[in-house]
Amino acid sequence: MPAPAATYERVVYKNPSEYHYMKVCLEFQDCGVGLNAAQFKQLLISAVKDLFGEVDAALPLDILTYEEKTLSAILRICSSGLVKLWSSLTLLGSYKGKKCAFRVIQVSPFLLALSGNSRELVLD
Amino acid sequence: MQTGPYYFVKNLPLHELITPEFISTFIKKGSCYALTYNTNIDEDNTVALVFMITSRNSPMIVSIDLMELSLNLDSKKYERISWSFKEKKPLKFDFLLAWHNTGSEESTMMSYFSKYQIQEHQPKVTLSTVRDLQCPVLQSSELDGAPEVSCQALELFDWLGAVFSNVSLNNEPNNFISTYCCPQPSTVVAKAYLCTITGFILPEKICLLLEHLCHYFDELKLAPWVTLSVQGFADSPVSWGKSEHGFWKGGEHLYNFVIFNNQDYWLQMAVGANDHCPP
Repeated sequence: MPAPAATYERVVYKNPSEYHYMKVCLEFQDCGVGLNAAQFKQLLISAVKDLFGEVDAALPLDILTYEEKTLSAILRICSSGLVKLWSSLTLLGSYKGKKCAFRVIQVSPFLLALSGNSRELVLD
Repeated sequence: MQTGPYYFVKNLPLHELITPEFISTFIKKGSCYALTYNTNIDEDNTVALVFMITSRNSPMIVSIDLMELSLNLDSKKYERISWSFKEKKPLKFDFLLAWHNTGSEESTMMSYFSKYQIQEHQPKVTLSTVRDLQCPVLQSSELDGAPEVSCQALELFDWLGAVFSNVSLNNEPNNFISTYCCPQPSTVVAKAYLCTITGFILPEKICLLLEHLCHYFDELKLAPWVTLSVQGFADSPVSWGKSEHGFWKGGEHLYNFVIFNNQDYWLQMAVGANDHCPP
């Protein structure tokens, strides 16, 4: 029996992602403070609350990965909340009285894009 | 399977990439690629050699067709370009280089650029095995999935990102830290093999890898599908074909092949907001 003819379908999506993903790192100016995942998330929520209020602090925000040693994380935020989260991270200046800043390393609507970072390519 | 080598050259004057000798040794005898190393496309001058040299420092883009140039090296156009790169604006960059030799002679980048501290590198390969991995159920004929039967192609795309970033896939809906879970319907596979290759990799090597993966299903296998994802350099000034590549919130341009055991395949291509739609 002859094989059926190959079919081809092309679908183009524009802004298909419900979420945006951010790879971030918290840096302290002097000696750091340890934060576990729950404390880290609480810090993010309070940063958004300080700038935008209670309602926006309830934006769905997930910490997909968290490394306590380096205080780095991959965050997932609904796309409509990206600007609010990013601006809150930008304006966060201290935690428990210690000066700190968030570094935003990568942002993408595609989580797969965050699995590598060509800007971090190191040649041995 | 070898996926390299590639080369790193420090402080290479840009005019070295348009000399008749370079063009006849590398450009005409294979596929040669170069990209400036450690230059951010949204901040610095960036140069890429694909089928042409493209230099970009927003909003200026300079494109030079080397093959066209090589047809008439006595032309005023070539003289002007050469003078610009040598005298008017003698730029130097650190370059990543790779070359696919289709000629019979054994020219090498190492000897050609020996006066410029050239180093040879091999792409870094990391292998890992994940046990009891929750995987989305897919149907090759249903890109948009079917309720209770299979997942959407977009859901697979994000799930792949989760797997390669070591994201936990089975969080409860009331978990404070994360509610992310594997798209449904899903199945648990006993073992999944992940391989990451990092470096300046030739398209020809990627094609070979893809061919190998296609042959994976020549014999009967339990796996329903395999995937190959490729990410372009965020700071490349070109994307698919000769399309200009941009960096706004991010410089992502990537593609993913899903090869099914029935020889169907999906090709997913994703670009950032500053790029044109892929071909």
